[in-house]
Amino acid sequence: MGADPVAEMTGGRPVGVAIVDDHPVVVDGVRAWLATEARLTVLATGDDPDEVLRAAPHADVVLLDLRLHGRMALDKLAELSAAGRRVVVYSEHTDPDTMLAALDAGAVAFLAKHEGREHCVATVLAAASDRPYVPPALAGAMVGDPRPDRPMLSDKEREALLLWFQSMSKASVARRMQISEHTVKQYVDRARIKYTRAGRPAATKAALLARAIEDGLVRPEEIGIYRSQATHDRPTP
Amino acid sequence: MSADLDATAAVPAPIRFDVPAPRESASTEALAAPAAVAHASDRGARIVAVAIALAWHLAIGLPAVLAARAEFAAPVVVIGGWVLVLAAGTTAGVLLLRDTPLPPWPLAGLLVVVDAAVFAAAGERQLFTAANWVWGTLGWFFLLALWGRRVAGLVALLTAHAVIALVAVLGHGIDEADLARYVMYVYGTFSLPVAIFVGSTMIVGLGRDRAAAAAAMHTMAAERDAAERGLRERRDRLALVGATAGRVLGELAAGQADPDDPEVQRRCVLAAARLRRLIAESDDVPDPLLHELRAAADLAERNGLPIDLVTIGSPPPLPVEIRRQLADPLTALLAGARDWARLTVVSGPDEVVVSLVTPDRPGPEATGPPPGEYDDGPVQHLYERDGDIRWAQTRWRR
Repeated sequence: MGADPVAEMTGGRPVGVAIVDDHPVVVDGVRAWLATEARLTVLATGDDPDEVLRAAPHADVVLLDLRLHGRMALDKLAELSAAGRRVVVYSEHTDPDTMLAALDAGAVAFLAKHEGREHCVATVLAAASDRPYVPPALAGAMVGDPRPDRPMLSDKEREALLLWFQSMSKASVARRMQISEHTVKQYVDRARIKYTRAGRPAATKAALLARAIEDGLVRPEEIGIYRSQATHDRPTP
Repeated sequence: MSADLDATAAVPAPIRFDVPAPRESASTEALAAPAAVAHASDRGARIVAVAIALAWHLAIGLPAVLAARAEFAAPVVVIGGWVLVLAAGTTAGVLLLRDTPLPPWPLAGLLVVVDAAVFAAAGERQLFTAANWVWGTLGWFFLLALWGRRVAGLVALLTAHAVIALVAVLGHGIDEADLARYVMYVYGTFSLPVAIFVGSTMIVGLGRDRAAAAAAMHTMAAERDAAERGLRERRDRLALVGATAGRVLGELAAGQADPDDPEVQRRCVLAAARLRRLIAESDDVPDPLLHELRAAADLAERNGLPIDLVTIGSPPPLPVEIRRQLADPLTALLAGARDWARLTVVSGPDEVVVSLVTPDRPGPEATGPPPGEYDDGPVQHLYERDGDIRWAQTRWRR
């Protein structure tokens, strides 16, 4: 990984973000959060995904409120993801089913609205470079995934997700598991990458997976055989 | 308004949400009640069957046997058989009323042997009289021997009884009048025991079904009550939270409250935490473990502690002992928590993990179990402080 993976992706220009939300106060709040990070710039905002993307066709990341005008925009999310748009879903609806459905539909990440500025900025930056970012609420949904066809996670990946969900502190998880923070992040991110195999295929999932292979997070020969590799626990260097 | 958040900072708000804990195990109750009803109906039918058999044997059989004792071909066999059946029948009756299993087929075999012997020993003149007591009485004892089994067994025994009688009737020469009487006797000895046998089985089954239906309705009604109470309670809390959040927002909008004021920030944090918890409660009838944890979280929150309670999955039914082991250590720690707390529950069919994370404060005022890991039966406890957070986790694995 280079010194600044985001700059690598965008050629040095700031990451363009489009915000879709039907509550102006939330748009203003998120805009204020993102304004604290020089590498991010908000290109367009609004309550209609199509209009917002017409105004900002080159947005690198779309922040999408999952509930627009009273209905869940899961179909819109799938459509944008299939077209290769990096969509970060953020919602106050943090029931695990909704979060997993969003991942299945191709969302690059899911952020609970209450998770705050730091997670929001980190998620958008990671999404811009096709890298996973798993905020604690999403980690909880993944570790508690009851579906029979859920991706098989290794014991270490499950434990890292569980402890991250519980404590919201990677430093504390690292101390508890007696590993480095970097390794904690690897376990969590690998679990997330396994979810690119769940649900329908999407360009965004392929991009996440390709980047994970490029970064050495997963090995090419592991692709498609995660189920039989569930006990493979060694963190990649 | 007594429940204003301002007030909660100083004194606990005098509001109580009394939600009865969900019923322990509606499903086991639903199974136990029909079984009890079925058992009660069956016991009544058993008493009737034992009473009929013994009364018939003593009140009708005995006087006739004694009156005709000189006229039997082999009086010792007829009277001995009567005594044997009295003894066997009484034993069977006592066992039946005490719910003790009988040896059905040895008993049935004994009765058939006595049947054949008495028919052979009664002699032609007593064949169709009450003195040939096996004709009318033995069917009732067959009933006792095969109680609770399939009706086919009883029909087989009664058929054997009819064949023995036919052999005896034919043995004394073919007579049309005797054959007609034979058919009448067979009809009489067949119909009543079979009717009582089948009738009692049906009544027991019906009783069980109706009791099961009633129990299911009661369970549903109880769940509906709990759901309605839960909904009411949530509405009350929403009104309360809505009012307090509205007040803070109103003051902020009117410029009466300063967003930089830590007290205003604290009120916002508390109102947001309450709203979040309300939104997160999606279950209609709360699981007992989640119910206990929510009650503890409510209490801590009313004392002014912003707390997140996040639950993933539904816990499987757990014995109360396990629930205590999972919840109690954390609720005790929650009572002493300051600043903020995060309580999480992750449940699957084979595992439930409850965790409480609070800021770590150095110094001797920190209470609670010493750091470390230990097992308490099927529940693993873990307590840790790392300078940033205090972490308590209880984990049950099947």
